[in-house]
Amino acid sequence: MLKSKSKNNNLTFGSDNPNAIEVIDLRKIYSGKNVIKEVKAVDGISFSINKGEIFGLLGPNGAGKTTTINILCGLINQTEGDAFVGGYNVKKDLNKIKELIGVCPQEAAVYKFLNAKENIEFFGNLHLVKKEKINERTDRFLDLLGLLDASNRKAKSYSGGMLRQLNLIVALISDPPIIFLDEPTVGMDPRVRRTTWKFIGSLKEQNKTIILTTHYIEEAEALCDRVAIIDYGKLIEIGQPKELIDKYNAKDLEEVFMKITGRRILEGF
Amino acid sequence: MKRQRILALVKLQVKALIRVPTTLFIILLLPIALTLTMGLAFGSIVVENYGWTNQTGSIFDFMVPGLFAISALFMAMPVALSFSEDREQGLLKRINTTPMTAIEFMGSHVISNMCMAIIQVIIVGIISFLLGYRPDGAIAGITLAFVFMMVFSLSSIGFGLLTATIAKNPKAAGGIVWIFMFPQQMLASGLYPLPPETQLIGMFMPLYYVSDALTLLFNGVALGNLRIWWDLIILIMFSLVIFIGGIILFKKYGKA
Repeated sequence: MLKSKSKNNNLTFGSDNPNAIEVIDLRKIYSGKNVIKEVKAVDGISFSINKGEIFGLLGPNGAGKTTTINILCGLINQTEGDAFVGGYNVKKDLNKIKELIGVCPQEAAVYKFLNAKENIEFFGNLHLVKKEKINERTDRFLDLLGLLDASNRKAKSYSGGMLRQLNLIVALISDPPIIFLDEPTVGMDPRVRRTTWKFIGSLKEQNKTIILTTHYIEEAEALCDRVAIIDYGKLIEIGQPKELIDKYNAKDLEEVFMKITGRRILEGF
Repeated sequence: MKRQRILALVKLQVKALIRVPTTLFIILLLPIALTLTMGLAFGSIVVENYGWTNQTGSIFDFMVPGLFAISALFMAMPVALSFSEDREQGLLKRINTTPMTAIEFMGSHVISNMCMAIIQVIIVGIISFLLGYRPDGAIAGITLAFVFMMVFSLSSIGFGLLTATIAKNPKAAGGIVWIFMFPQQMLASGLYPLPPETQLIGMFMPLYYVSDALTLLFNGVALGNLRIWWDLIILIMFSLVIFIGGIILFKKYGKA
């Protein structure tokens, strides 16, 4: 298998394929004794994401966005189909994938009894990042997101928005070439959300590949090079935000979703 | 096994011990309170031919080996609480997306819990000594007692994992963990004499073998006594089964 170095660091992709992520007919079906009715959380979706692209998974709650990300991160196994991250198969090469990715989960998964710097250092150590690099990146990220002054306070004293910003920084401490952001700005106030968008946008300049789930239309339109609209586990549209808006003669992606499904994204099921 | 990862997790456990009041209470203050209470309550009541050792001394003297064992058993509680809390807050999932291996993760828990077992032995030892308890064992015997406690800490981690598997949240874990702790304290700790048939039930619990061996070691029984080594072998088997069983069941049913 051919290998290529990521532009940002020494992490190695599994092939010279220009796609950072490739998803082929992916399905996740929940069934069995404990499930009353079979649930198709992901129902045969396929897409690919180029290196250096910000790719949005847009859809209402329960559409299958997080399930897709969880499969790509190796947290759950797919029922059918294939998925490749950095050229590696999620079923066979998970250990290699884990070295390439940074994951910002939907919930603020940080230790509340640690302060921001300690949380970042802890996860940096799990990625075997050198101490000097941890310190340099920690100060830079905290400064960019305006958390530097609060960095020595325990996370339990943080507001919801600050916790989510810390959640994001933790995902970036290993300088991963592929980043998964699952609803990264949910619960943030508009000012903090805009600072965070600017920060995520700056990652694109570093040629990072970002896969972002959101149900915020403005977020998808402001950040994403391309979006995949997902509903009931199926991929119903894919393309550049402007391209989709023009195609459906809509004023924004919300209207695109409405014209396809007859529902609003925020309504969900 | 990468040292940087293991040290990071051990450091995390130490910070949790210092900063999370529940952990601090269970690991340090509970053994102190228990030993002090028992010492003050039973330290001055002298009995003859007490317990299976048939010796004369204060009731507290007979209780001390069991108090050491019970202190180590308390570790099941913070393990259960931390695993349930970390699961609820998505931290276990997050750690699972890093390159840290399962062996490194569990290895660091074993190291930190064994260190805590040693700290507990020292604390209970000092307080017992201050309350007048004088073990009748040689240095080698006391050292072996540390080994027993460290092996038993594996069982405590296992009981903590089993609890976290059953419990849906940390609050439930705080209650469920007593299912594993209470019968052992009552039937296997050797704190007081039990009828032979009840003692038989205690023999199916790992705490029995710690308490039994510590009683022998602290009463000056020679290390050549086979009963001590049988206790150790049975304890190792119990601890490995509970520890590995806990890992397997938590991985299968407790992660979500």
